[in-house]
Amino acid sequence: MRSNATSLAGRWRHRAAKWMARRMPPRRKVTLKQRTIYVLPSRHGLLFLTANALVFIAAINYAVSLAFGLAFMMASLFILAIFHTFNNLNHLTVTAMPTDSVYCGEQIAFNIRISRSAEHSYESLELQFQDGIFDGGGASKRKNAIVRAELVENDQLEVRVFTRAVKRGECKAPYLRVTTYFPLGLVRAWSIVDLELYCLVYPKPIPFQMDQFTAGLSGNDDSAISIQGSEDFYGLRDYVPGDPLRQVAWKNVARGQGLQVKQFVDYVDSKVWLDWDMFFGFSIEERLSRLCYCVLQLSQRNTPFGMKLPGIEIPPGSGPEHRKKLLRTLALFGGK
Amino acid sequence: MEAGYQIPRAALLWVLSAVTLVILPQIINLPAWLLLIALTCVVWRLLIFSGRLSYPGKLTRIVAVLFTLGVSVYQMRSLGIGLESAASLLTLGFVFKLIEMRYQRDIYVVLSLCFVMSMVAFLYSQSAVMTIYVSLCVTVIVGAMIAVNRSGQEASRKPTLRIATKIALQALPLTIVLFLLFPRIAPLWAVPVPTSGGTTGVTDEMSPGDLSQLGRSNELAFRVQFEDSPPPLHAELYWRGLVLEEFDGETWSRSRSRSSYGIASQLADFQWQWQDRITVQGEPLVYNVILEPTQQPWLYGLHLAEPETDNLFQSRNFEVFNSGLVSTRTSYDMRSFPNNQTDLILLDSARRRALQLPEQGNQRAKTFATELRAAENSEREYVYAVLAFFQQNPFFYTLNPALLSQDRVDDFLFNTQEGFCEHYASAFTFLMRAADIPARVVVGYHGAKYNRYEDFMMVYQYNAHAWSEVWLDGEGWVRVDPTGAVSPERIEQGVEAALADDPAFMEESLLAAVGLGGFNWINTLRLRLEAVEYEWNRRVVNYNEEQQFELFDELFGEIDDEKLISLLVLLAGAVVIGIGLTVIRRDGIQSRDSITQVYLKISGELARIGLPRLPGEGPLVYRDRVVSLRPDLDSAMNELTKLYVHLNYAQPRITAQTEKAYLKTMRARLRELRAALRRNDSYLSE
Repeated sequence: MRSNATSLAGRWRHRAAKWMARRMPPRRKVTLKQRTIYVLPSRHGLLFLTANALVFIAAINYAVSLAFGLAFMMASLFILAIFHTFNNLNHLTVTAMPTDSVYCGEQIAFNIRISRSAEHSYESLELQFQDGIFDGGGASKRKNAIVRAELVENDQLEVRVFTRAVKRGECKAPYLRVTTYFPLGLVRAWSIVDLELYCLVYPKPIPFQMDQFTAGLSGNDDSAISIQGSEDFYGLRDYVPGDPLRQVAWKNVARGQGLQVKQFVDYVDSKVWLDWDMFFGFSIEERLSRLCYCVLQLSQRNTPFGMKLPGIEIPPGSGPEHRKKLLRTLALFGGK
Repeated sequence: MEAGYQIPRAALLWVLSAVTLVILPQIINLPAWLLLIALTCVVWRLLIFSGRLSYPGKLTRIVAVLFTLGVSVYQMRSLGIGLESAASLLTLGFVFKLIEMRYQRDIYVVLSLCFVMSMVAFLYSQSAVMTIYVSLCVTVIVGAMIAVNRSGQEASRKPTLRIATKIALQALPLTIVLFLLFPRIAPLWAVPVPTSGGTTGVTDEMSPGDLSQLGRSNELAFRVQFEDSPPPLHAELYWRGLVLEEFDGETWSRSRSRSSYGIASQLADFQWQWQDRITVQGEPLVYNVILEPTQQPWLYGLHLAEPETDNLFQSRNFEVFNSGLVSTRTSYDMRSFPNNQTDLILLDSARRRALQLPEQGNQRAKTFATELRAAENSEREYVYAVLAFFQQNPFFYTLNPALLSQDRVDDFLFNTQEGFCEHYASAFTFLMRAADIPARVVVGYHGAKYNRYEDFMMVYQYNAHAWSEVWLDGEGWVRVDPTGAVSPERIEQGVEAALADDPAFMEESLLAAVGLGGFNWINTLRLRLEAVEYEWNRRVVNYNEEQQFELFDELFGEIDDEKLISLLVLLAGAVVIGIGLTVIRRDGIQSRDSITQVYLKISGELARIGLPRLPGEGPLVYRDRVVSLRPDLDSAMNELTKLYVHLNYAQPRITAQTEKAYLKTMRARLRELRAALRRNDSYLSE
């Protein structure tokens, strides 16, 4: 009987969630409007209404005209609180901003820009991620931190709203809830926004003794070179705007040969490969985590290296771009 | 969730101001020890605020709760479950909550109680000044709520007080509509009323010295406004209250034996009688009285008064009674026939009551009466003889008469010969009864102060008066005022003139001397303020179901409960929508959308003549292309594009007002463009 009831409630919840989701498809930029702003009395508001009822009953019983007036004033204040609190969210624009990647298990700081038009100002806004459209699980679940913000002086503000990265891969931001109680605290106005806000979550690096790999990695085979290295002179090419001036062959300029740039290369050891099979016996996530650790370590040493995953081969390289590419591959490995 | 919560400092100051403001009006009603506790709590809170004291520990809190419980039990025993005990308990709990207030929830408990405390203030006084004061309190409470909900300290934001005032003002229209239209509900259960100060005004017992006590007070007793007709002469303003028929040698009192105060069932069966007992002539005086609370059931009016308001009753002596104690300021309408005769035939029982005298005492007065009566031919001549006796002997009208000994009437008549009106009325009535003429004492008020600014009269406690009614054959009951014989000014000009030199007169009032002339402008100011207060009482404080219906009857014709409620819903709905529209700022988004729409229409029109806007083509480039092909559209396109670009990309953003103006121009240009295109089309097709 009971399970039946809960499943019914669950189904209702599910249907309501679907209905709400239809009302607000994920978007990069959302302006809060009547359709998406919900207003309900807060707990303090209920307290206030109780006091209001008390004053009203006293007015009736003592037949005191002005106590009636006071009771009506309180009711009017409550209605005004609804308008003003609604107003403190209405037309607020929330925009998704690029977000820095994090490692699994860390806090993702989603960058969100809130902005206003000249006619509005917003005080005491609370931004918080919630897992479902309804805050769902309640107390048992971990709570995301509430970020407070106000838009009075500035037209726009970038806020970092946090949630924990629980899964590797491309992580979509949970529903963002924007809440306000301002100005009177008697009602709560809130809106739930589904932003097209993504964050790349790298595997969590798992440290281990890397000596066994690096020992065998130090051959010196000249078979592969990496252009844009910095060690050995390789040749000249025409200057392209943006090239570092340090590398311009000034002697040639003096000779009247035009702007030319010296090219340097690093000789790469073809054997510096990170291989999926090196971690035989581990699960996929554990392999990825260890590979991630390797990538971080090796890129710190500035040795060029490549990576082989099932179906993917990334030729050796170095530098932040290369590192990013590798981490990205690890993060998205196995995804669609 | 609120573990790390800190009440913002600004918010705390707001809350403390609100608390102090709502407790202030209670100062006179609350016992001193309670005020001391309240003060301690506010100071304690300030010390916590400045970090010099910490929050109360568990022990202190338990002590506070036990103390509150103890006080409540004590108060219920001594004062009964009444308003005083409730008010002081409320205050106690309220100030204790103040010191342990730590989280937002606590603040809201305190602020909600602030509203309840403001309501308590109204139970004690509903004056215009109090209303203004409570409005101030409400604004500060709203300010406190705002301050609690603000966190940062951005300098550029609006000050809290300004927002609070704005919100309070915005709440006003709806409050007024609700006040006017919301159905007044009859009390749900009987409640004890504030009894501070006890009963006031004339009582149903009169001993020498009672009325002179009232003569020292300049408190307002009631206000009167005459409808249509000019008020009677000052000498005729006898506000009849009670008829006192029983005399025990010292005190006159009202016989309570049979017709108890205002018992409807008893009054009903004599209702048919009284029309036979009176004959009236002339037009009645119609007037409205607003009586200050007296905690007594009887009302005042000019003889012979017939109540116009429902639920008022007349007694067999033509006194008027309210259905209950007058515990709040009460308004009632009366119709009086000054030209009347009552009880031309006196029933034996009534005659017996009006002749009763104690067997013993005051022998000298009795002998005097018998001798004097024997010397006179008729009862009327006897009355004149007694009045002449008062006039010819050195009787003195004063608030501070000498104390009377055993046989009070004798002592007064033949020894001290000084007294206030009750002495004269008492002695006169005694002399009548001693001569076998039915007589009785009437207490009430005499005279009034006329406020010409609002055309109403004010009767003060110092107007309290006592006079006699004697029954003469063929005339019925006749009013005789022996005080007039002693002090004619009292009757013609009022008690102020008669007692101007008496230091005891109105001695309770510091303004007394000022109020009686001297400084004219202060007097004027006083009259004006009283005029405001009068209007306030008449229109606002006494606004009840009856007045509600009266007001809307005038506006909308016959009205009933249903109509009233639908009117309420309609009006309140309109006001709520109106306020909503003013409060909720609408954004430029709408007009911005219409700008785009207008622009899209342009490109749509142009697309029909083969000049669509290409994907990714900026408005300026598009304009150049169109103009190069159709030079005739140059001016329209130029202006439209300029406005469109300006509206969308200008920095800083243009105001909403200019935006509207721009949009208007754009629409006009669009029409021109269309006209030009049509002209061309028709030209081509020809």
